[in-house]
Amino acid sequence: MAKRLGMVIDTVRCQGCHTCCMACKIENNLPDDNWWNRVVMVDGGEMDTPVGTYPNVSMTYRTMACQHCDNPACVKACPVGATYKRKEDGIIVQDYDICIGCRTCMVACPYNVRIFNWKVPEYRINFDVGDPDVPKKQKSIVEKCTFCVQRVSKDLKPACIDVCLGRARFFGDFNDPDSEVSKLLSTRRHYQLLPELGTKPSIYFLV
Amino acid sequence: MSAAKNEVPNKRFTIGIIISAAFVIMGIACWVAQLTQGLHLTNLDNNNTWGLYIVGFVLFTGVAAGSLLFASSAWLFNGLAQFRPYTRIASFVGVIGSVIAAGLFIIVDIGNPSRIWYMITRFNFTSPIIWDTVILGSYVIIGIIFTRRLIQVSKGVTEEKSVKGIAIVAFIAGLLVTVTSFIFCIQVARPFWNNPVQPLSFLFAAVVVALALLLLVFAILRTKKYIAMSDELLNKMARVIAIFLAAELLVVLSEVALGLYAQSGEDVQLIHWLISGDGAVYFWVEIAAFALGMVLLLNRRTAFCMAGAGASFFAVLMVKYNLLQTQLLNPSISYPGLNGRSTYAGTAGNIAAGAYLPSWIEVSLSIGIVSLGVLLVLLGLKQLRLGDTVQQSPPQVDVQIQAKV
Repeated sequence: MAKRLGMVIDTVRCQGCHTCCMACKIENNLPDDNWWNRVVMVDGGEMDTPVGTYPNVSMTYRTMACQHCDNPACVKACPVGATYKRKEDGIIVQDYDICIGCRTCMVACPYNVRIFNWKVPEYRINFDVGDPDVPKKQKSIVEKCTFCVQRVSKDLKPACIDVCLGRARFFGDFNDPDSEVSKLLSTRRHYQLLPELGTKPSIYFLV
Repeated sequence: MSAAKNEVPNKRFTIGIIISAAFVIMGIACWVAQLTQGLHLTNLDNNNTWGLYIVGFVLFTGVAAGSLLFASSAWLFNGLAQFRPYTRIASFVGVIGSVIAAGLFIIVDIGNPSRIWYMITRFNFTSPIIWDTVILGSYVIIGIIFTRRLIQVSKGVTEEKSVKGIAIVAFIAGLLVTVTSFIFCIQVARPFWNNPVQPLSFLFAAVVVALALLLLVFAILRTKKYIAMSDELLNKMARVIAIFLAAELLVVLSEVALGLYAQSGEDVQLIHWLISGDGAVYFWVEIAAFALGMVLLLNRRTAFCMAGAGASFFAVLMVKYNLLQTQLLNPSISYPGLNGRSTYAGTAGNIAAGAYLPSWIEVSLSIGIVSLGVLLVLLGLKQLRLGDTVQQSPPQVDVQIQAKV
């Protein structure tokens, strides 16, 4: 049976340390100012800002990357099929060599997780980092989180999972009832982003 | 009475051709800069990802569609038969000039125009971009056939009856401008666009911009004696523009009213940004253009009608401009992150930076594209002799001389 890969992120444990974002940036050799995974504040107004009046304050971080939806708006919108959902595991990939840079997928994505290379990719570190199997970045194309497809092909987890200091990130196959992610969903309360839009994201947040 | 001259003195065309060619060269230079250095020369970013170029595409697709509607209506409805002599110009200017402009606006907006042939070899039929390409492509074909048929009719080579068939096709194609709204209104990610009034709004907008541009073209050509056109016909066009402008204003005001009523929710945030937040200047300029346009168009004087046509075109431009920036600068998920324009900002991104204003490169390139349309139109008017049929009717002088003899 085909896999339905996805992530579960525990917002109780997430401390907003940005380590997962850094791991992604290094693994995928991202150019300057390109981030595929981001830490955002829920209702805090600014980064690292709590909500409420002291002493009744709370602070919730969320990490956002491509939701690898089961009903992806971006795949439907791409005029040349540069972005598509893999049948074997449900990862939504981007083919840089086909992308014409029309940015329709960015308009279609409700989560704003896709980024466009507005300039020729620049790198502060003057040598390549990360996995050599990662495709080279190009100017004027769209990129986004790929669930580290180069690692998943070798049966490894994405780079952001095991580096998490708070052990808040989990990855696995939702079609397998014995997987860690499936068990977490059956035992903990969880939510998804913008479920009413019908995109069926593959990322769940535990509360 | 002397028939209107079919040719404007060559000097007038030449000046226009030289000026527009100069702007075209400026546009090409801007495009080369953009191609080599990247689209960061525009003021677009990962949130506000579509801007002036897409507005230009929407407007000129509308001009093409509206011109097809105007030209075909004159041949399909007897009440509009007085406009038949001018349909060659409408078909050429409106359709061919605009399709070039619309197509070019897309070419300069996409990151890799050299790969555009993938849209033919590996097109995705669920993509509204492909639907737009089909529609625009059909406008080119229909426009060429229609213009050619009309020229043949005016030369007496074919009968007027043969126009009916292509006119029906052109009329339906013009109505299909509603399909070009789908790229916006089918997006579940964009609630401000995701409503069924958009196809209608695009249809109203198409009629307004096409008739406004054609009114300006006819009025200018009339003063240069390329065509003869009565004040009554120009005023009729002006009144139709005013009606469709009012319809578009109704759409805009309805959206605002709906957003204001709710007091909370996603629509409210958008509407408040638009009418009293960072987008306010742009919104109230749009409303002023609507008001000015309608008042001027209902005046009988030609100069006022021309100014009204210009204001109407600008009003619709602002409608599309605000449609884009209001939604793109107010995404559904707006959690803050680090400040700044980098993608590591939250999904709220650089909303703190305010509304969208195009960069000089964007404006110059857009002017260059419009100038190319103007250049092609001038060349066409000069070479193809698209003036009205009065000149083509057989001269009556010979008959009188023979009768005397």
